[in-house]
Amino acid sequence: MIVICSALVALISYASLSVLKKSAFYKPSYLSQHVEPSNFDYIILGASTGLTTLNTELIDSLNHTKGINLAMDDTALATQYLMLQHFIYEGKSTDYCILAPSVFDFDVTDSVMSGNDYRFMMFNDRDYVQNHYSTFDGTDANLLKLSRWFPALGVAYYNVEILYPALQATVKPEKRNRFDANGNYVYPLSSSDDQKINTSTTFQIGFKNPWLMKIKALCETNNIKLIYYISPLQGYSVMAAPQINEVINHSDVLQNKKYFYDDIHVDRKGRKKVTELFADRLAQIME
Amino acid sequence: MLFNSIDFVIFLPIVFACYWLLRRFHVNYQNSLVVISSYLFYAWWDYRFLSLIIFSTIVDYLVGNQLKIANTESKRKLLLGCSLIANLGLLGFFKYYNFFIESWIEAWSKIGVELEISTLKIILPVGISFYTFQTLSYTIDVYRNKIEPTHNIFQFAAFVSFFPQLVAGPIERAKNLLPQFGSKRDFDTDTAMSGIYLIIWGLFKKMVIADNCAFFVNQIFNNTGNFSSAELFVGAMLFGFQIYGDFSGYSDIAIGVARLFGIKLMTNFSFPYFSRNIAEFWRRWHISLSTWFRDYLYIPLGGSKGNTIRTIRNVFVVFIVSGFWHGANWTFIIWGLIHAILFLPLLISNRNRTYINTNRIHLVQLPQILITFLLVTIAWIFFRADSVTTANQYIYDIISFNGASLESYVNSSKRLLFSLFIVISIVILLIFEFIAVQKDQEEVKLSNAKAVFIMLIICFMGVFKNPSDFIYFQF
Repeated sequence: MIVICSALVALISYASLSVLKKSAFYKPSYLSQHVEPSNFDYIILGASTGLTTLNTELIDSLNHTKGINLAMDDTALATQYLMLQHFIYEGKSTDYCILAPSVFDFDVTDSVMSGNDYRFMMFNDRDYVQNHYSTFDGTDANLLKLSRWFPALGVAYYNVEILYPALQATVKPEKRNRFDANGNYVYPLSSSDDQKINTSTTFQIGFKNPWLMKIKALCETNNIKLIYYISPLQGYSVMAAPQINEVINHSDVLQNKKYFYDDIHVDRKGRKKVTELFADRLAQIME
Repeated sequence: MLFNSIDFVIFLPIVFACYWLLRRFHVNYQNSLVVISSYLFYAWWDYRFLSLIIFSTIVDYLVGNQLKIANTESKRKLLLGCSLIANLGLLGFFKYYNFFIESWIEAWSKIGVELEISTLKIILPVGISFYTFQTLSYTIDVYRNKIEPTHNIFQFAAFVSFFPQLVAGPIERAKNLLPQFGSKRDFDTDTAMSGIYLIIWGLFKKMVIADNCAFFVNQIFNNTGNFSSAELFVGAMLFGFQIYGDFSGYSDIAIGVARLFGIKLMTNFSFPYFSRNIAEFWRRWHISLSTWFRDYLYIPLGGSKGNTIRTIRNVFVVFIVSGFWHGANWTFIIWGLIHAILFLPLLISNRNRTYINTNRIHLVQLPQILITFLLVTIAWIFFRADSVTTANQYIYDIISFNGASLESYVNSSKRLLFSLFIVISIVILLIFEFIAVQKDQEEVKLSNAKAVFIMLIICFMGVFKNPSDFIYFQF
């Protein structure tokens, strides 16, 4: 009984990961299997702020460039480093890397695994993915690590996130999980009134997160120019440490509540406005 | 240590192997191992409260032996009183001290007198209500000359602390469990296999049904104002399945684990949602507690021996005390009171024992089953709500019928998925239980194929990430 059950679980788990690996459901697989160009002018790495603030389709139409948004929600800089490794491993290249994490992540010094790192599980036969999971402690990291040899551990633990998307992907391999063909996602229009933001609290970020150094080093090794991006915040103004040069700071460019979906995310209107500003600044840098 | 934790997955095989390696030696070795591993199991949660279990064990062991040699009735009563005061005193202090102080202050404040009595930050020791009742049953049975006291401290300590049922029951009787620790156990493959099947079934109830239901139940009961009447009603029903899956799942695992050690524990749940009236529900739900109250409270109060008024009084006392046993909150007392009120018509019309010898159900009884389930569901609202006011508001929001939308259950792919899990798992539960009821079985019996099917369901529909605590741990 135990043998039959274990065999079935292992088979289903292996099949789930194989299907997801070939699908477009999560971004790592999408990048690996469904993104044809291999040379980009820029890529966007980051968390939900990067994902929902910068619209690469609009940037490309304004600047006549080729970019892709590789940001994923609920991820920290460690995962963004992993995504950059994944991008390079897939044989792709870019001139610029726009790093747009959660603004609070720039100064985080303790390392905790991100909630969505299971999205790389189907690539855990690769050393850089395994090394990433080995960086962390705890049940989640250990199971993801062990699922290289025992896929059932990771698939059962993340059954909602892996098995059922795999079933969807079996029927519809092109289905993407909340991102468009360019990797972008947008929040709906804000329900906030047309109201000016009067007060603003200022704080400074010092770029102390140790993962920033790793991302910077990896970019330098691969001739990628790194640009830090600080996305708009409602009622906050961020001062970047002066020693960091390549920063596009949009923390206080939106001074009306109607542009915000919540305190740290813009809505569709806000995204358009900020993306236009960003495209203009990026064009200057690229010149 | 939780049954559905990695810790327990490591702990159980080690204890199991050591236990059966010791079978060639005197039974005291096995009992000592049971005691040590049970203390370790308990200390995993909080080692400080081990002292309470050890205290209860020593008190009742000594009282039991003294009762045997006491030659006067007054001395025997004094000894029994010592045990009751020691055990109920600890339970009262840890579980009810703050409740009584707060209720006392509130009562005086209603007539304008503000008292300044401070409450204490008391942590409720896990399982105190369960092992206290278990040890008390031993002393009372010795006092009543129903059982002989044991002179073996290892045997008695194993009886009090046996880890599968230490923290959430079943509340065993000394008459059933104590002799099992006094005799040699031999490994029996059939018993062990039936234990494994029961563990699988219990894990299914806990990890698939209870923990998936908890996803919605917690959201609904924490923000009742945000949901339609239909969503609230479904939320209450889901709580009914959550608490059943959670508690009976724990009991099944406990009974199954005990069988691995050659110990047979009593049945604690007997398909309660197939009950045809409230009286039958209480013969099928938390049987170890309801029979405890029957034997040690209802019957000593006079049971049904006196006139009708006295019988009704006794029923109300038992249900209210039973509610209060669950927790120091008025919600539990009201919950007990509701069940007493629902029981009353059956008692008066002498129909409270109607289905006592007939487990099998007929299709024509379906309306009775549904009505009983509905009544139990309404009572569960008080059990789950934080306060009586919240529960009243919850029921008011259901009956005010402010909408039939069930959108909250399907408004995202994740919620839709959880809803599907719940529907599928409840259907599986009811089918398996229905078959068991019709076959007049005490528990769901799994074949190899069914066990594999259930294990697959657990693997791919169970909640492994951030599972809920067992609800009855708080009692």
